[in-house]
Amino acid sequence: MKKILLTLLLASPLAWAEQDHANMHDHSHEGHLHDTMVDGKNLDVSAERFDTFMEGLADVNVAIVSVKGMVCDFCARGIEKTFTRDKSVQKIDVDLDNGKVMIAYSKTKEINFKEIEKQILSNGQNMSDLQVLEI
Amino acid sequence: MGIHKIIILAFILVLHTEARPISYSGGTTLMYQSDSMSDSVYVHYSPTYKYSIGIENVDDKIFNKNKNYLRLTYLINRKNTDISQRNLYFQSGVLVDDADGFFYGIHGDWETRRWFSGFGYKDTNNSFGQDYTDQYIQLGVAPYVGDYGDLHTWIMIKTKKNSLTNTQSTYPELKFFKGAALVKFGYSDKTEWDLHFMYRF
Repeated sequence: MKKILLTLLLASPLAWAEQDHANMHDHSHEGHLHDTMVDGKNLDVSAERFDTFMEGLADVNVAIVSVKGMVCDFCARGIEKTFTRDKSVQKIDVDLDNGKVMIAYSKTKEINFKEIEKQILSNGQNMSDLQVLEI
Repeated sequence: MGIHKIIILAFILVLHTEARPISYSGGTTLMYQSDSMSDSVYVHYSPTYKYSIGIENVDDKIFNKNKNYLRLTYLINRKNTDISQRNLYFQSGVLVDDADGFFYGIHGDWETRRWFSGFGYKDTNNSFGQDYTDQYIQLGVAPYVGDYGDLHTWIMIKTKKNSLTNTQSTYPELKFFKGAALVKFGYSDKTEWDLHFMYRF
């Protein structure tokens, strides 16, 4: 009985797949480099951290991603690895304290909510919000 | 309800439970563990975020045997919040050269950047008829919360029980974690050293 159970369990993960989009809020915002964006919503990261991130960058679009479940360096490292595979990513910053990830994309890259959501999910976390800034 | 029935029920529930990510796709992890019962080297690979497969070499100090397991770890359930993550995993392994030797179990954890708690249950079936179980509970606190890339430190306490040696021990552990590397060690006068090293590529 135990062997049968074990065999079933060994095979079962291949049959299970899911995309959990529960608790996702499809927000996308465009704005400028200020604490407050043009739509009146506050920037999701501190101005100081954002300015440090922007040093040396030009002609980029920045995605500020709010992430749930990012509790350790392994999570952060996984997210870094996932996004740096994308050649249009110029720079990435993971803020574990506040659960934010800043990603600077080349201007030619169209930032896609669903694509980023999927990349975050592929690392084991959930995206809860996305802000996009055109610099 | 016995623990075997609970595990079997959990496995059945897995078939109906939505899977959540286990780690980023393409990640490889090297683990080394040593305690009074065994030394082991375990390498696993995550083809997707849902599960990992790997091979573990175990030097069994009790039965004086060297064994190789094919292993599977599967994330049964994960709950992410803004400040925490909770996981429940199924683990299993079968001997490369003897399908009568295998183990299975569950382990779970809940953690924030400050607090950690975890538990595990494992049932090992040896082909020569000596079956046994391992159980543990673990609690931890980070004395400071570092940023990404800093050296992270955890002070933990672990209670573990083994049915073969009929021992139960509770002891403190220290865990250090930086970048891709993690090292953890504890000491008990009953079970002596408990060492763990992990590196994720």
